[in-house]
Amino acid sequence: MNSTSTKRPTYYEELRRKGYSRREFMQFCTMIAAYMGLEANGVAQVSEALMSHPRVPVIWLHFQECTCCSESFIRSSHPMVADIILDKISLDYTETLMAAAGHQAEAAMEKTMKDSYGEYVLCVEGSVPVYEDGAYCCIGGRSAVDILDEAAAGAKAVIGWGSCACNGCVQAASPNPTGATPIHKLIKGKPIIKVPGCPPIGEVMAGVLVHLVTFGRIPELDRIGRPKAFYSKRVHDSCYRRPFYDAGLFVESFDDENAKKGYCLYRVGCKGPTTYNACGIMRWNDGVSYPIQSGHGCIGCSEENFWDNGSFYTRVPNFPGFGIESNADKIGIAAAGLTAAGLTAHAVGTRLKRKKEHDKILEEGIDNANELN
Amino acid sequence: MSTRIVVDPITRIEGHLRIEADIEDGKIKDAYSSGTMVRLLEKILLGRDPRDAWAFVGRACGVCTTVHSLASCRSVEDALDIVVPPNAELVRNIMFATQYMHDHTVHFYHLHALDWVDVVDALNADPKKTSELAQSISHWPKSSPGYFSDLQKRIKKFVESGQLGIFANGYWGHPAYKLPSEVNLIGLAHYLEALEWQKEIVKVHTIFGGKNPHPNYLVGGMACSIGLDDASAINAERLAYVGTLLQQGKEFIEQVYIPDLLAIASFYPEWTKIGGGLGNYLVYGDLPTNGYRDESSFKLPSGVILNKNLNEVLDADVRDNDEIQEFIHNSWYEYSTGDESGLHPWKGETNLKYTGPKPPYDHLNFDEKYSYLKTPRWKGHAMEVGPLARMLVGYARGREDFKEVVDSALSKLNVPATALFSTLGRTAARGLETQLIIQWAMEFYEQLLTNIRNGDTRMADTSKFDPKHWPDQAQGVGHMEAPRGALAHWIVIEDKKIKNYQMVVPSTWNASPRDANGKLSAYESSLVDTPVANEEQPLEILRTIHSFDPCMACAVH
Amino acid sequence: MKTVRLRRVYVWQMPVRIFHWINALCILVLGVTGYLISNPPVFLSNAEASNSFWFGTNRFIHFTTAYIFLSMLIMRLYWAFVGNKYASWRNFIPINKKFIQKIGGVLKHDILLLKTEEDVSIGHNALAGFSYFMFFLLTLIMIVTGFGLYADSSTWFLPKLFAWVPALFGGDYLVREIHHVTMWILVVFILIHLYLVFLHDQYEGRGETSAMISGYKFIEEEVIEKQKEERQIERIA
Ligand code: HEM
Ligand code: HEM
Ligand code: NFV
Ligand code: SF4
Ligand code: SF4
Ligand code: F3S
Ligand SMILES: [Mg+2]
Repeated sequence: MNSTSTKRPTYYEELRRKGYSRREFMQFCTMIAAYMGLEANGVAQVSEALMSHPRVPVIWLHFQECTCCSESFIRSSHPMVADIILDKISLDYTETLMAAAGHQAEAAMEKTMKDSYGEYVLCVEGSVPVYEDGAYCCIGGRSAVDILDEAAAGAKAVIGWGSCACNGCVQAASPNPTGATPIHKLIKGKPIIKVPGCPPIGEVMAGVLVHLVTFGRIPELDRIGRPKAFYSKRVHDSCYRRPFYDAGLFVESFDDENAKKGYCLYRVGCKGPTTYNACGIMRWNDGVSYPIQSGHGCIGCSEENFWDNGSFYTRVPNFPGFGIESNADKIGIAAAGLTAAGLTAHAVGTRLKRKKEHDKILEEGIDNANELN
Repeated sequence: MSTRIVVDPITRIEGHLRIEADIEDGKIKDAYSSGTMVRLLEKILLGRDPRDAWAFVGRACGVCTTVHSLASCRSVEDALDIVVPPNAELVRNIMFATQYMHDHTVHFYHLHALDWVDVVDALNADPKKTSELAQSISHWPKSSPGYFSDLQKRIKKFVESGQLGIFANGYWGHPAYKLPSEVNLIGLAHYLEALEWQKEIVKVHTIFGGKNPHPNYLVGGMACSIGLDDASAINAERLAYVGTLLQQGKEFIEQVYIPDLLAIASFYPEWTKIGGGLGNYLVYGDLPTNGYRDESSFKLPSGVILNKNLNEVLDADVRDNDEIQEFIHNSWYEYSTGDESGLHPWKGETNLKYTGPKPPYDHLNFDEKYSYLKTPRWKGHAMEVGPLARMLVGYARGREDFKEVVDSALSKLNVPATALFSTLGRTAARGLETQLIIQWAMEFYEQLLTNIRNGDTRMADTSKFDPKHWPDQAQGVGHMEAPRGALAHWIVIEDKKIKNYQMVVPSTWNASPRDANGKLSAYESSLVDTPVANEEQPLEILRTIHSFDPCMACAVH
Repeated sequence: MKTVRLRRVYVWQMPVRIFHWINALCILVLGVTGYLISNPPVFLSNAEASNSFWFGTNRFIHFTTAYIFLSMLIMRLYWAFVGNKYASWRNFIPINKKFIQKIGGVLKHDILLLKTEEDVSIGHNALAGFSYFMFFLLTLIMIVTGFGLYADSSTWFLPKLFAWVPALFGGDYLVREIHHVTMWILVVFILIHLYLVFLHDQYEGRGETSAMISGYKFIEEEVIEKQKEERQIERIA
């Protein structure tokens, strides 16, 4: 063995120790590569990476959150979380699962930040409240702002889990009373991978993390920092109800005849056409279903501001301040009606005011016509 | 002289909880519980469409995911006089049961077990003996000597790597760990198995609600139509899938969770005398079998027990202005009616006002406000809510099904009923109630099939979905039993919009700061008198606090 | 009786006319198909999805029309630099004080009915010109938001040029909302536009409406003479 100069075992060693053959190991690499959408030569990259790297330390911070991102992560079926945390990463800090508490927990994080400076991956779940000197979220007496600042400094890369970390999610919805702020507005000079969703799909989370630790570099990101592999398509573009949409066959109200036939949910508010996520392709919880398949429209949970983008049950934009029943069309129709009324009034006004001139023109015309008779 | 210790973060819970305790002569003399993160959902909801509320409040918590969404739908349906079809009630009940099966099992293994199981000591176990022991308590198939020795090797390698990950800095070797190495190894094995198992049972939510965490709900019923002729609706395949998942869930809980629970509990008899706390229990009841309005049809009966008196069960009324009230004497809020007043949630207010120290701080000042949790009271009493409360109320109400599981466990552990008023009692009640829940889940499932067979495929009543059918003014309450205890949402609707929305959450009852009269809430009260062997390693505090299964995102919301 | 001598003036060149009518047609089609996209009717039918594609067709028409619409606008933009005086971009953008004064004049005379002496123009009057400028801005919004939404459904480079749009607005939702609301603003513009065209035709009797078909307007001789003089002065100055 040549790669054992480091004390920590590599993935390859782990797998061999667990009784897998080299052939099985290569199969595994092929699968991972395919899963990540790599070309054939990617397999060699994967196997190389798995053979030579020890487990990457990971610090997972929790701020203003509901912990559903952690919950979603542990739902991942491939790879499975027990395998990730035992074999792939060293999850040195996460309040949800770690054995240590209080000072011992803080010490574990400090140790990683010091010993693996520049090496560890920082995962952030939750947004960061910036009002009131950060007092709206404190851990161990320190504000989230403060903790994030310190932890980001030595991180090799940062992953923002879920809509909370990526765009503030529900607590940042109007009027955002705590100043909930997404992490990319607070961390400067570090690569940040945004994995939005409320929560993101477990397999997507595991996939992104495994990509990062396996290749030691960031997956290809789109314009706003999301991994292209999972966020380049609208839910609508991969929705199996799409033929109904194109055919103009819609559910009119929940549980009506059309709903029982699985028609498109567009008219009952589906936000699939404006939502970028992999739900239609990967589906949830190991491919069992996804919101639309279970009869409810997409609420757009991976989109910025999805809480403030109007009701989940209407398609046409709502207008704040006009009441929940007013929407762009009602206002538009009213505006057009008002305009028409105004123009009619103007026509009458003009007629009255310019009667003389007008009559003169008309009379001239009549006179001229008479002359020709 | 007492010393003040701080445990913050309390880990293996949901959210941000800080405990400070005064220790004197190796015992806790006084304890303070503080929730240190706030989002203010109750404010964010104002002015929004009541039909959307379930999604907002669902995000209160992704651990007890679904419960707030259900409470919210019920509150709106209550306000607008909507009755959901029987199938929707059954699907909601099945999802409820699934949530319990998941939440309670994950709590036991991943949040609580490491308080009792010494992972590092598992390396000293003899795999053969472990196998014999495992087979003696359960016929779960994965218990061969080879299985345990492979696991042991895997863990050994893991420990030798020097990267202990989530197990780093645990209180391994602490004198309060009492399990034989073999039981530790079983515990560790099942920790990993449960991690794999839990992702399966939630698929019931995925089928009916499209995803988990945060499955979808709908005011008026459920969105998952039954369409036996449609490939994607709830059809024969989907229903069979649910049946299989429930069956697999049942096997794991009956063959792994419950035997482990009883085995581990039997090594910690002293913990039936520690951590009892208040002795007042509140249950709203849940699992309707004849509609939400008919409480007599609930599988989980409602009731109030005061001072551990199992001979009398009182009734609670969530609509009564004088029964449930929230106080903010010690909470970082202000009331327009004055900070000493108590408000019934329909009139509740959520106006944030932080007065604590500017971070970073070493200690909070407990003579002043010290938490983002409000302090709920029932007729002025501090109440404990949760699995123990539910089991006690069912037991005290004389319900046969409750008596059977409770008495059988008590006799297996050879302890009297009073042993339930304790840290271990709380942990045990959680497992016992899971057993009941599984039985009922199977009943709900059969009933759903029967309804469909009889031609009833209704899943939602949308006749009042359109706001034009709503009154100008309405108010409602949606109460339920979340895994951690009694939960209710109060809503006031005006001009089709949310005028007021107040949530009083199980962990708010349990983890709240003391009230103006100095009366402690459940966490604080149950910590008092708990022995602490080593102030540097407050394992005992974790045990009692974890026995409540804290959820702080819920508690503060 | 005073006789008014009218002279035929070739105001709207062919490209302007073609642009105008194709543009009007495009907007009509885009508006109708767009509205249907946002608010499709529900048909209770037992049709199989595979046998029906009306909604897809509707969207297809919307997108195809969008391309025609864009090319017409580009053509008109080009013509604003090479066409005749009345087609010039100078008619639209209030670049000097005189333009602004003229807008005020039209406002007072035509709209508020205050002034009785009008400033008679040959091409667009100043206010109309400016409102067309605003109209072009609105169409620009439609194009940017429309192609922004379309970018991810297309593999062609042109829509891809607009891929930055949703990113700028934090997602498709807001972009769609802007696209939708702007449609209503256009509706209001069109109503006013039609009204004013007919109003002028009625009160001035210069064949305003037919001018957009034939290209010729009938202008009073004195107006033509006056404008000639003005040109003369401008040249000398
Ligand atoms: C006067 C011009 C136009 C009008 C009045 C118009 C109107 C509309 C309306 C009302 C919608 C529905 C929006 C909603 O769902 O709320 C729409 C959708 C859309 N329009 Fe336009 N539109 C115009 C021009 C364009 C152009 C130039 C494009 C460029 C490609 C375009 C592309 C789209 C796209 C991609 C959608 C979304 C359709 C979908 O995803 O199904 N539109 N349009
Ligand atoms: C969708 C409907 C329409 C739109 C968006 C529209 C838009 C425009 C625009 C942008 C111009 C300026 C043309 C240029 O300089 O290139 C214009 C001029 C004009 N349009 Fe329309 N138009 C519409 C319908 C109509 C109709 C139906 C008529 C007549 C029946 C009409 C008559 C005219 C006339 C006479 C002019 C020249 C006005 C002037 O002298 O300033 N338009 N229109
Ligand atoms: N406390 C609490 Fe919950 C529960 N169970 C909700 O109501 O945990 Ni997240
Ligand atoms: S993004 Fe959504 S799911 Fe994740 S922690 Fe935030 S609220 Fe929970
Ligand atoms: S259900 Fe939603 S995502 Fe699917 S086709 Fe219809 S609108 Fe698109
Ligand atoms: S609501 Fe979220 S889970 Fe997927 S289908 Fe829509 S992005
Ligand atoms: Mg509350």
